[in-house]
Amino acid sequence: MPRKRAPTSPKTKAEEEEPKVRADALRPTIDLARLIHSQLLEGEIPRMRLPLRTKQNIAFQMREGVWRLGKATGTRSARKLDGALMLLRTFYLVDFINEMARDGKTSTLRELYYISEGWEEGKFHSEDESNLLVEDLEVMCSRLREDFRLHPEENGASIIGDITIRERNRKGAVKTINCREDVGDGGYALPSNVEKEKIEFVKARAKFVIAIECGGMVDRLAENGFDEANDALLVHLKGQPARSTRRFLKRVNEELKLPVVVFTDGDPWSFRIFASVAYGAIKTAHISQYLATPGAEFLGVTASDIENYDLPSDRLSEVDIKALQAELSDPRFATAEWRSEIELMLKNGKKAEQQSLAKYGLNYVTDHYLPEKLKEMGVL
Amino acid sequence: MPRTLVAPARSIAEQLASKQREISVAEFFERNRQILGFDNPQRSLLTTVKEAVDNGLDASEEAGILPDLRVEISKEGESGDRLRVAVEDRGPGIVRREIPNVFGRLLYGSRFHSNRQARGQQGIGISAAVLYAGLTTARPARITSKIAEEEGARVLELILDTQKNLPRILSEEVQLWDREHGTRIELVLKAKYVRGRQSPLEYLRGTAIVNPHARIVLVEPDGTKITFERATSELPPISKETLPHPYGLELGELGYLLKASKRENIREMLSRDLAGVSVRASREVVGAAGLKGSEAPASLSGEAQEKLLAGLRGVELVAPSAEGLSPIGPLLIKRGLRNVLGDVRPDFFAPPVSRPPKVRGGFPFLVEVGLVYGGGLPADQPLQLLRFANRVPLLFQQGACAITSAVGSIDWRRYGLDQKGGNGLPTGPCLLLVHVASTKIPFTSEAKEALAEDEDLDRELTLAIQAAARHLKTHLSRVGRRQFASDKFAIIQKILPRLAEKASRLIDQPVPDLAPVITKIMDVVTLEPTVVADASSVRVTVEITNYTARPRVLEVFLEIDPTTFALAEYAPTPEGIDRGLGRAWWTLDKLASNARTRIELGFPARTDVEANDLDFYVAGVDEAHLLGADPLPGDWDVRLPRAIIEAAEAAESGPIEEEEVDYDAAEASAHVSEDES
Repeated sequence: MPRKRAPTSPKTKAEEEEPKVRADALRPTIDLARLIHSQLLEGEIPRMRLPLRTKQNIAFQMREGVWRLGKATGTRSARKLDGALMLLRTFYLVDFINEMARDGKTSTLRELYYISEGWEEGKFHSEDESNLLVEDLEVMCSRLREDFRLHPEENGASIIGDITIRERNRKGAVKTINCREDVGDGGYALPSNVEKEKIEFVKARAKFVIAIECGGMVDRLAENGFDEANDALLVHLKGQPARSTRRFLKRVNEELKLPVVVFTDGDPWSFRIFASVAYGAIKTAHISQYLATPGAEFLGVTASDIENYDLPSDRLSEVDIKALQAELSDPRFATAEWRSEIELMLKNGKKAEQQSLAKYGLNYVTDHYLPEKLKEMGVL
Repeated sequence: MPRTLVAPARSIAEQLASKQREISVAEFFERNRQILGFDNPQRSLLTTVKEAVDNGLDASEEAGILPDLRVEISKEGESGDRLRVAVEDRGPGIVRREIPNVFGRLLYGSRFHSNRQARGQQGIGISAAVLYAGLTTARPARITSKIAEEEGARVLELILDTQKNLPRILSEEVQLWDREHGTRIELVLKAKYVRGRQSPLEYLRGTAIVNPHARIVLVEPDGTKITFERATSELPPISKETLPHPYGLELGELGYLLKASKRENIREMLSRDLAGVSVRASREVVGAAGLKGSEAPASLSGEAQEKLLAGLRGVELVAPSAEGLSPIGPLLIKRGLRNVLGDVRPDFFAPPVSRPPKVRGGFPFLVEVGLVYGGGLPADQPLQLLRFANRVPLLFQQGACAITSAVGSIDWRRYGLDQKGGNGLPTGPCLLLVHVASTKIPFTSEAKEALAEDEDLDRELTLAIQAAARHLKTHLSRVGRRQFASDKFAIIQKILPRLAEKASRLIDQPVPDLAPVITKIMDVVTLEPTVVADASSVRVTVEITNYTARPRVLEVFLEIDPTTFALAEYAPTPEGIDRGLGRAWWTLDKLASNARTRIELGFPARTDVEANDLDFYVAGVDEAHLLGADPLPGDWDVRLPRAIIEAAEAAESGPIEEEEVDYDAAEASAHVSEDES
């Protein structure tokens, strides 16, 4: 069921001045039109091939150190209803992007979903369908969705720490912001676009990045002054991190050479959060080279932490167990370390939240747990 | 009791005796509260409504009057735990002298010894409600009854005297009542009104389904009025009273029959007071029992009665007849379900199953099953099972009932419903009605809420339910095929033309001819019936389209239920007709690729016919290339025209499909676990 319609923000001058869709960005869709036209002329059912974005079809790219799409392809054919609809929608989407380019507009993914109300039988049935089609277009054209003037509704995560950035805001003004001194308790909120034309790094005193799953833990570290005492940059992942959060992590890691550690709950879902940060997500495997930070390391909570620190834990649910078993067949987790970690969790049948460390008091995480773990990892 | 030499004073004996009686009726009630259905306030209300409604239905039917019942439940007083229940029927009314006995005396009834299918069997019912009301609120029952012969209605207030098991009339008057005849009972009792599974509303809904000839109105305490209109104005045939059959006869009952018999001797009594005993058989029975046959029936000793019963058991008798049964019948089951479930808008009403009568013990019984699927029925819940015995809904003890275990022992997965482990109640948007009719229902207990396990009953239940389940399976596979067809039509009629247009415009080219692609996508012959009903007729248009790449010569067979078939008219005129089987057939002119033809059927106005009721079979094209019809069954003995045979023999050259991964199907299943923006 679609969520409630989000209010549309008035388009500003700055947006109108954004560069138009580059003429060649949509070139592959012209090729697709040619292909379909010739298939129809020959009496063939229209169809196209696309690389499969499934767990079975991701391959490790040695050069970039990330997991990217493999060579297996699937066929999108007008023989089936879903395939026929997606082919038709591709052309509606191309029309829409061209229209936005002509009028100097951009659109959120959510707006795109509602725009399709006017596409007659091409109308999307769910936002998943529209998001998938945009990803398909990224794959087809080897571009990012921003190149098609499409962006997600949500902003990225918030960050706290001694790093100074220069942001060109939506009014076109350039602001220099220190992400500890110039922000409140909420930190600096990453915009959905964190590319160079939007955000530049000025200087950073932070020596490493600690990416944290839950807001409560970010607050705990900030309140305890952990970022100041250890020159850390705190990044709130907010569960599965948005593209811009992962892109930001990659940029600070590559451009500022800051090590990235990931601190999450100790459960199968948190392992997946780490995998998407470090190795790249399956859904965005076509752009892993932009988003994944191969150098990122998993700090915890690990299955052995639950034992070693004797943390309050919950029993794994049936769903948790299924998720862990699925991870055993996920190529991204096919290392000896991850296998033993997953198997240990399955064996103990326990999971724990990162905030369960509060068992030993509010300062325990900053005074004992993190320093111990970070030393072990060679970060501190 | 210890005997004393000195007789106690009379007054004490009297006191004791009267106390004994008082204890007996009140205690009888207390001890049997549960089986009488008065164990808690919620159930007490339901039992009261149930007994009054059953009486109203029985009385109306026996008098040949279409039942018209009104049940009003309202709050009484401030305490919140008392309700006033009024149940009114438009039956024949009750003559003055019988009113106190009917409502104020336990175990008073006219049906206890009758051998026919009836709702109530013991006559405990309504007077137990009067007793319960008196015990919990000390308020009398108020009875209003008018018979057609009298000007005014008799209004009596009475209570059941627990000392004497006799009615005590507190007041009596004659009032004007604006109706020809009818009865109304009002009670104030400790009770609780709820909605939900075991509620008066559910009881009345169930009653309305299996009694489509009744009109029932319920007014709830908050003023909500719910009306179940009648779906037919035909009364069910009155079940005939049959003589008791020796199979299943108990010794006590035999004794009663002997005593009550007006026959001169036992031979005559056997052949005329019992069913299935011929004159010759009566001689054999008497002989086997070592009796003369000329004894007066009432004179037999207990020992002789036992011998007689053994004699009856040892002799071959005519099986009990089913005349005492009153099945609802397939037509009315369907109407009843449709009438009451109208707001749920189910997708499918399976043709109801009515099994022929069978005998267990000495009693005939039969099983009827109705099944409804889809629409607003909840898909994630267990199947809704509506159990009925002699047209009375059974709301309690579902788990202990033979009907439930029969449903649960069927592997519903084979019929298209989910079922954990292949037994127990299946899950799905499905409602199953099971009605058992018998002159003696084998209840597990006097509570009359569950049927006892029995081999013969179980076999009949299973056969009937399976027959209904097979209809469900057929329906589901039809739905699957229809979805497939509607997807294909959406592609060729809407999506493909637009896709061609948009792709062509993007590269500035003319739109190519789509016909060859359309036949490739469809690659089937479709047959689509459309039913249009208006005031003057019901018309069915059957469109046959050849969406394959080559011309087709087809033979189309239509099969309908023969009664409906007899009403049909056709255009064009069929090649042949078989009225007995309800079949008509046509040889169509050669149908070119992408060409279409139609057959039209006409029925008189208001004929009950739906697309689902029409079965089509087609020869001249194989199953894989046929949509909306089935291939001609092999066991039909029909001579096909030469052209059809040749067409069928020509090998179908289907397109050779590469083994390809469907991108969109893979996409849909891949992104369940990961969730990111």
